[in-house]
Formats: sequence, C-alpha cells, structure tokens
Amino acid sequence: MDTVIQQLFNAAQLGAVYALIALGYSMVYGIIRLINFAHGDIFMLGGFIGLLLTTHLGWLPFYLMMPLAMLLTALAGVAIERVAYRRLRHAQRMSVVITTLGVGIFLENLVRLTVGPETRQLPARLPTAPVLWLQNTLGAFVTWDKLLIILLSLALMAILWLVINKTLVGTAMRAVADNKDVVPLMGVNLNLIIAATFAIGSALAAAGGIFYGQAYSIDPYMGIDLGWKAFIAAVIGGIGSIEGAVLGSFLLAGVEVLTVAYLSSNLKNGIAFGLLILLLLVWPSGIMGKPMLKKV
Amino acid sequence: MSLLRVENLSVAYGAIQALHGIDLVIEEGEIVSLLGANGAGKSTALRAISRMIPLRGGDIFYLDQSVKPIPPHRLVALGMAHVPEGRGIFPNLTVGENLALAAWTQKDRGRLAASYGKVFGLFPRLEERREQLGGTLSGGEQQMLAVGRALMTDCRLMLLDEPSMGLSPLLVKEVFRALQEINDQGTTLLLVEQNAHMALKIAHRGYVLENGRKVLEGPAARLAQDPRVKEAYLGVPTPTHPPDD
Repeated sequence: MDTVIQQLFNAAQLGAVYALIALGYSMVYGIIRLINFAHGDIFMLGGFIGLLLTTHLGWLPFYLMMPLAMLLTALAGVAIERVAYRRLRHAQRMSVVITTLGVGIFLENLVRLTVGPETRQLPARLPTAPVLWLQNTLGAFVTWDKLLIILLSLALMAILWLVINKTLVGTAMRAVADNKDVVPLMGVNLNLIIAATFAIGSALAAAGGIFYGQAYSIDPYMGIDLGWKAFIAAVIGGIGSIEGAVLGSFLLAGVEVLTVAYLSSNLKNGIAFGLLILLLLVWPSGIMGKPMLKKV
Repeated sequence: MSLLRVENLSVAYGAIQALHGIDLVIEEGEIVSLLGANGAGKSTALRAISRMIPLRGGDIFYLDQSVKPIPPHRLVALGMAHVPEGRGIFPNLTVGENLALAAWTQKDRGRLAASYGKVFGLFPRLEERREQLGGTLSGGEQQMLAVGRALMTDCRLMLLDEPSMGLSPLLVKEVFRALQEINDQGTTLLLVEQNAHMALKIAHRGYVLENGRKVLEGPAARLAQDPRVKEAYLGVPTPTHPPDD
C-alpha cells in the first residue's frame, strides 16, 4: 500500500514536468497550428539557465531564481519565434517542421558547446526532508521537494488557466485559435499575441526543466526524449487543449511509472508509445480534442 | 479633408487582377455604398482599405495619411473598423468576450462604458446573450455582434462587408435600421452590398463596380433611378421595345 502511494507521487512529479512541457506544445499548436519540435529543447535550455543562475548567482533564493530563469527562457522562446518561425507563417508545413527540428538541434549544440555535454545535477535548493505528515498518516515516504514540485507545477497550471480564461490577453489567444485573420480587425496586434504565447509556453517549459533538474539530472540532449514524451502526452490529451495536455501528461506518467515499478523498465517506452497508438485509434483527436470540423 | 480617399487602387491575387485603378472618396458623416455583382471587387476594395491584403498600385489615404505603412491593428486604433464578410465572430468566445476583445484599443474607462451602452442600446439581444458562446448565436445575432464589435473599437469609419448576407428580410431591415442609427450618431459608413435596394435606401452616395472598375457613381437617389443599376442590381427589367401590334 505505502509503495503504491509513493509510486503515485513519483508519477505525479513526472506528470507535472510532462504537463509543463506539453502545455507549450498545445498552446502554440492551438493558436497557430504549428508543432514546435524545438520545444523539448526549450525545456532543456530552461534547465540549464536554472543551473547557470544557481551556480553563478548562488545567493538568489530558489523562489527568485526560478522566475528569473523562466523570464530568460521566455525571451529565448520569443526570439526563436521572431527569427525563425514568423517568416514561415504562410509557408508549407514541411518547411516549418524542418525549421523547428533545426532550431532544436541548434539549441542542443549551443548548450553542449557552451556548458559542456556532461550530465549535471541542479544544486538542490528545495528541502529534501521527508514529509512527516504523509509518513505518519499514509506510511508513504515522500520528500518535501517532490511534494513542492507537484504543488508548484499545479499552481503554475492554475495561473495559466486564469490567464487564458480570465484576462484580455488570454481572450486574444483564444480568439487567435478561433479565427486568426479577424484578430487584427479588433485592433489587436497578432504578432504580439503569438509572441506572448511563445513566452508563456517557454516559461512553463523552463519551470519544468528546473524541476526536472531538481528531481533527476539535466544534460543537453534531455529535451529529445522528454520533449517527445510531452508531445505524446499533448496528443493523447488532444493537442490544442490546455486541460487535455495536463490530463495526457499525468496519464502517460502514471502508465510509465507503474510499468517501471511493477513490470519492467524495459517496457516503459513500448507501453507509452503503444498507449498512444491505442488511444488515437479510439479518439483520433485526443481525449479532450475537438474533431477537426470542415470549415464552411 | 476627406475622411477616406482611395486613389487609383489596384489589387491582384497572384496573376489575377481584382481591381484596376479605382478612385473613391468618403466624407465624414456619410453613408457610401459600394455596389456590384459577385466578383466585381467590392470586398477586395474593403480588404485593401483596412490593410488585410496588400496593394498592387495606387494609394489609400485615411485622415490624409497613407495607410500603406500602417499595420491593420493600428488602423483600428486610428478609428477605422472593418466588419468582415461572413461576420468573422469568434465562435468559442462568449458574446461578452467578443465585445471585450474589440475594445482592446480603448483605454479610457468612460468611453468604454459608453461603447457598451451604445452596443446594448442598439442590440439589447446581445446583452441578454452576453454569457452565450458566439457560435451559438443565430445568423442575425451574429451580424449584430459583428457590428457591435466594430462599435466597441470606438470607430470613426466603419467598413461593412455584406451585412445582409444570409439574413431574412426582416433581420436585414433590423440591421439596416441599426446602421442608420449608428450613422445618425456620427459614424461614417462604407457599405459593400449586393442588396442594392437596401443599401441605396440608407446611403447618401454610391459607387458601382464592375469587373474591378468603377462604372458609375453619384447620389444614392440618382443611382436608384439609373436604368443600368435598376436592371443589374434592383431586379427591375428595363423596358424592351414595345411589341408590334
């Protein structure tokens, strides 16, 4: 019983990281129908920016370091959109896909050349003591950093939900998803809204990178594997849907963690990708996705 | 100073030329209709004016300023609103959100409240359906929402692309009554219509386009009497030779 609960916390932690990445895939796809395959590498970049801030500005408390890393990664995301993607907004889909993959390879090598190819651990900045309350009531050994990562991730997702549903910028983002061409006629600068979407998606990915670096370790190529997993999670949930990205992420992480715990770690990816295939056979648009309607 | 001056405007979609150098002038306070058959270039002219599509040649002056260097969203801030063909409402946004977004450029709270008052005064049904998704509205309500959004931009010039399209005669009347009232309150209207009958009823002046060229212009009352307009757009056959007896 106690180990099942521990495994569920492990799954929640991994799911939270997946969700922080998957949200960026889903938001960008939702508003401009672009799958940003470099997004996993933005996640990696966020982790490394967190590493550099922690090592060079060690006096910065975690709760300031993280927003700063998120801000810097957001700027990187905006710059990438401005330099590489904006001019391709009306280009063929294949050119865009190739460009996003190219940006990803660029980021991986940029970090490899400047920081180095080694696997690193982000200096622990969150308390690692066990949560006594959980130990006493449920008998589960869960550390504070794990619980905080889960709670902070959920808080970020709640903030995102509020921004998208309750602010005018969020309304503009949903309007772009609905009918991009009409948005400028409302006096709204379309480029600004798209840039804001990249900024938010990148900032969330950076939070995911830092959490991942706290919980596990980071290396310049981690964005490939994690990025694909988060992309799968977004597709399972229904790409374009915010709630779907979160749901798909926790679902995928749950399946992965439980497979490793109770079956075999060798089966982890096989089961994850098998789940993707099965779910898409049943729900081609993802669990929360809307079927593509033909425009009249 | 004219509110809007279109000079020798040409527009092309790829190799197909849609407008061949047309000239239009709109004075402040007017309702001007742009008439013509399908494909005459009416919508193209509107889209070029609001910078949705690039110009091939000529120029457009809004408030004596060329619109060429101005991005479309900036034109809205300068007081030009465009109610697009097919209404272009945001189906997954509520009526209230559709209106709130259109007020993006309005920073003054007093004017914003006045805009809401204007919209809900003209279209009380929009206030009733404020929480409803735009996509669930009927065609007539969607058209009201589209016009309401334009009002929310606090516009000086409103471009309207086929506001009567797909509406029942009763709803067309309602929409045109609202347009008349909007104009009475001081907003200038440039109205693209296939329903020449209704358009000429409320307009002060009109232009007739044919195959991307201006073929007629003049006061609305005179256009309504012009045999060519009558035959082509008002469904009145020109008298043929009287039958021999």
